Amino acid sequence: MRADVIPISILTGFLGSGKTTILRYLLRQPGFSRTAVIINEFGEVGLDHELVEASEDSFIELKTGCLCCKIRTDLAQTVQDLLRRRDAGNCSPFDRIVIETSGLADPAPILQTLMTDTSIAGRVVLGGVVTTVDTVTGATTLEREDISQKQVAVADRIVLTKLDLNRPAQPVLLRRLTELNAAAPVLSADRGRIDPQCLLSAGLSDPHARSHDVNSWLAEERHSHARHDADIQTYTVVRKEPIGAITLTLFLETLAEHCGADLLRLKGIVNIAESPDRPAVIHGVQHVFHAPAWLKRWPSDNRSSRIVFITRRVPQRWVEALLEAIGAEVADVSVAR
Amino acid sequence: MSEAPVDLARELLVQSLAAWRVAGRVQRSPDGTIVICGALKDIRINPAPADLMFRWMVTIDGRRRSAISLVSVLRQVRKALDPGYAANRVRVALTPLVPY
Repeated sequence: MRADVIPISILTGFLGSGKTTILRYLLRQPGFSRTAVIINEFGEVGLDHELVEASEDSFIELKTGCLCCKIRTDLAQTVQDLLRRRDAGNCSPFDRIVIETSGLADPAPILQTLMTDTSIAGRVVLGGVVTTVDTVTGATTLEREDISQKQVAVADRIVLTKLDLNRPAQPVLLRRLTELNAAAPVLSADRGRIDPQCLLSAGLSDPHARSHDVNSWLAEERHSHARHDADIQTYTVVRKEPIGAITLTLFLETLAEHCGADLLRLKGIVNIAESPDRPAVIHGVQHVFHAPAWLKRWPSDNRSSRIVFITRRVPQRWVEALLEAIGAEVADVSVAR
Repeated sequence: MSEAPVDLARELLVQSLAAWRVAGRVQRSPDGTIVICGALKDIRINPAPADLMFRWMVTIDGRRRSAISLVSVLRQVRKALDPGYAANRVRVALTPLVPY
């Protein structure tokens, strides 16, 4: 990674789920000392920023709107300003940015902003999404609040909080988390205390974490027959035969075209026919996709393509039929030539 | 065009109507045409003649149009059957997933 490329982590979770408590703890750890913090508070009077001890000049509060809907441009500008100040030596040096979202924020549009805004492109990488879940009220919240489900669905790591009030976590809550996002490891915070390395490795930007993360996503396969939520579903599409690059491109374009915001997240390792020894890692949020990243080798003997989907009302059978039909058409055209 | 893509196109359309939650049945007529009936519009899909550069011909309420690929067929069918549909264009992220 270039020295001046900054990973950005998203810390999200429903109202009162313990985001700020965890952030306060993390910022006191040596590994997080060079961290800039952006806190998004929703409401006239923000309090969270008062609770977080961070260097004032590398701390920014975004308020009067929710990051996911009203002030996305502000977010990109804020990150750009932070980077400019860092470059000019006008703030405490930092090599990481953490964005704490408001409890009502949908993380997907925030990810999209960070992935696509031209003003910060090339200067930042996504450091992953960490979602806090309150073990006392989490099950009820997940039942009632769609946004809470979405926060869990897009997470790279899920952190259970308030275990001191409700230990052990209710099986019903753990089952619900697995249904919504079986691929994300579930960690526990003890009054905000958590091993920072567990969260740092949530990133997709760390090459050392990459194969770990790939294995983590692929663990989803074991849960692909779990009961699915009526709206949000997680499933894995597996293909033993290699997939042609053109087929994959058309498949992803069509998914984006037809699913849009209902394609919450997609992650996968793909055996590309034209590159059998170096699998491609694909990653998308809604209709925004990364260019494939190429692993140096397969992480295991299993060379099947495995694509994990987290969707809202996008049936697995449609996704599978789409991939199969496009693959057959591309093969038919190739034969005709 | 071989049979396999046509069969898979039919199956994709069956699954698509279910995914889009639109009414209609997908059938294959004896001459091989894929027919969507009982929907908002009458739709018939045939493989294009071999001398054309297109793969498919899509006829919607009698109006015949060409489609260069199955992706294009799907787009035309969705636009015809799902009035609320607005296509999303794929965007490629500028921020790298993994630094090269």
